[in-house]
Amino acid sequence: MSKISGRDAINAVLTSELKRDRHTVYLGETIRDIGATGASKGLYEAFGAKQVIETPVSENGFVGAALGLALSGFRPIVEIYSADFTLVVANEIISDIAKWRQQQARSGGLPITLRSWMGSNLGLGPDHSQSMESFFHHAPGLIIICPGTPGDMAGLLRAAIRCDEPVLLFEHRRIYDLVGPVSDDPDFMLEIGRGERIREGTDVTLVAWAWMRHVAMDAAEQLARESISAEVIDPKTIKPLDYVSIAESAQKTGRLVVAEEAPLTGNIGAEIVARISEMVDRPLKVSRVAMPDVIHPYSAKMEKEILPDIDTVCNTVRKLMRGEKTFPAMRTPWERLS
Amino acid sequence: MDDKAAADQHARAARALPNIPQITTDKYLEAYRLMLLSRGFDERCTKMLAAGEAVPHFHSGAGQEALMVASVLPLRPTDQMIYTHRGYGHLLAKGVSLKEIALDTFMKAGGTNYGLGGNMHVARPDLGIPGREGVFGTRFGLAIGFALAASLRGDDAVTVCFYGEAAGARGPLYESLNMAVLWRLPIIYIAENNGWSFSSRTEWLFPHGRMSRVWRGFDIPVEEFDGNDPEVVYETVSRAVERARGGAGPSVLEGLTYRLDPHIWYDKATYQPAHEIAEWRRRDPMNIASQQLLSRGVAQSKLSEIAEMAKQDVTDTFEAVAAAPDATWTDTFEVTAR
Repeated sequence: MSKISGRDAINAVLTSELKRDRHTVYLGETIRDIGATGASKGLYEAFGAKQVIETPVSENGFVGAALGLALSGFRPIVEIYSADFTLVVANEIISDIAKWRQQQARSGGLPITLRSWMGSNLGLGPDHSQSMESFFHHAPGLIIICPGTPGDMAGLLRAAIRCDEPVLLFEHRRIYDLVGPVSDDPDFMLEIGRGERIREGTDVTLVAWAWMRHVAMDAAEQLARESISAEVIDPKTIKPLDYVSIAESAQKTGRLVVAEEAPLTGNIGAEIVARISEMVDRPLKVSRVAMPDVIHPYSAKMEKEILPDIDTVCNTVRKLMRGEKTFPAMRTPWERLS
Repeated sequence: MDDKAAADQHARAARALPNIPQITTDKYLEAYRLMLLSRGFDERCTKMLAAGEAVPHFHSGAGQEALMVASVLPLRPTDQMIYTHRGYGHLLAKGVSLKEIALDTFMKAGGTNYGLGGNMHVARPDLGIPGREGVFGTRFGLAIGFALAASLRGDDAVTVCFYGEAAGARGPLYESLNMAVLWRLPIIYIAENNGWSFSSRTEWLFPHGRMSRVWRGFDIPVEEFDGNDPEVVYETVSRAVERARGGAGPSVLEGLTYRLDPHIWYDKATYQPAHEIAEWRRRDPMNIASQQLLSRGVAQSKLSEIAEMAKQDVTDTFEAVAAAPDATWTDTFEVTAR
């Protein structure tokens, strides 16, 4: 176990996986240097142009190419410069990669890993801050992973690369500089689709992933000082999501709060709340903590006001504990339009 | 670069292409048989439609047989072919049986995609037919992936990417061409200019009504050719294929042809002037093929024999397919789980 940053954890996994299998190839913009995130530092020098393929800013071209490479026996890993840009290639991802094997009735794997950094790091504006998981969650045929710690980044990235399915890996920006324990085992993997109970509690189940996992843990700490016992679950994989672990917890606590950085309407929390309500056989108090339906402003100060934080999570839990209604959590002029 | 310099450069590029022998008479007879099967399939489907029977997603390729068939015959099974939604000649020429195409068209079990892809997603990876994209345009990135795979493997497989007016107007073509030239990939783009994009004239969509002229000056050979003359098609495509196979890089070809039938099964094509259709019927590739074969000394009786056999083949195929069981989800799950 080493204590390293998320950025270094990703770099170490990419290095070991490119070394392990020469059919693993890495494509993306600026990766001949260090890539968008700094995670590809040294890869070109180590593996050369046959495995580390610097591309023009042509996402349609190179994400499409990843499908062709995977169908030709390669295992492409693609870095999308910012997760927001996955919308540029939603057609390749949803209409082709996700559907390919069913539409063509093709057996066998389709090992494509699309990784990019996402989420708010304050002041990056509406095109470099969004949470992208719910945009792709709706499409059948994709695995979506949102790791929350350097260790999880490493274990799930390696699992994604070795997995025979197309995977979208959204790595939160704030976890790149977070330092945490990462396994030194060159085969260390975490199981895709398995969540983790990261804090035990009895009064309320808090579900949070990526950066919100840390916000939820801090909120649980605060709530504990108020004698409210929160159980925290990080699903890590958004699709297929570990609903069973959440349902077991909610069955016990009777209260469920999903804390998510994305805007409220149609977010992942909506699906979690709906499914868990169907899965438990006791009355359940539910709520979602989320960003209001507005864009990420360029002003970091204004952005701070709309992002869910410890206070919004704690306030929502307190209301649930008091039996109060929690919606609407926030009202903005823009929400009238949505 | 001015127009004259660009034209000179292209003349030089064209002269640099290796000389390829004409299509042999044996191969031409095979092409003729496949063209007849393709026309026979379209005529049969058109008759069924006239009788009020359903032919799902049928896009007749009548009039384009020379381009579809003679472009594909220079390819090997290890070469990848990305076809268009229109016509079935590409598939026949690459080795798919008429029966498989008919089974997929009528959503029957036993075809290549078990009712999930229909006749627009016929896939035979073993023959170098990976399938086709969902929303037109992403094929250009996909094709890059196959060509890049060959380049990374270091073998001499080529990729041929057909496209029509719709896909060819989408942005990914630009990205794909840029990468093909940048990486000197073994790929041949074949524009099928059939005069119409549904009810829009090609002239309304592309300068001078040509789909490839815009790529002149792109440091890639661009060549227009008579798409209704099987000898010309075969030779032109063979030159580009050998060029790519030999490591000299990509080409853009534009076959000029005409869509004799409506766009799709429900289209009445009232926008297509009768005199224009009549004009092109005089240049029907079926007649050009039979004339050229006769002038090579092939007996009329031989041509009649081939025509008779093709007709019988179509009749037998449709009878067998009508009796075949419908595709079911169970089939698909079984096949894709293999």
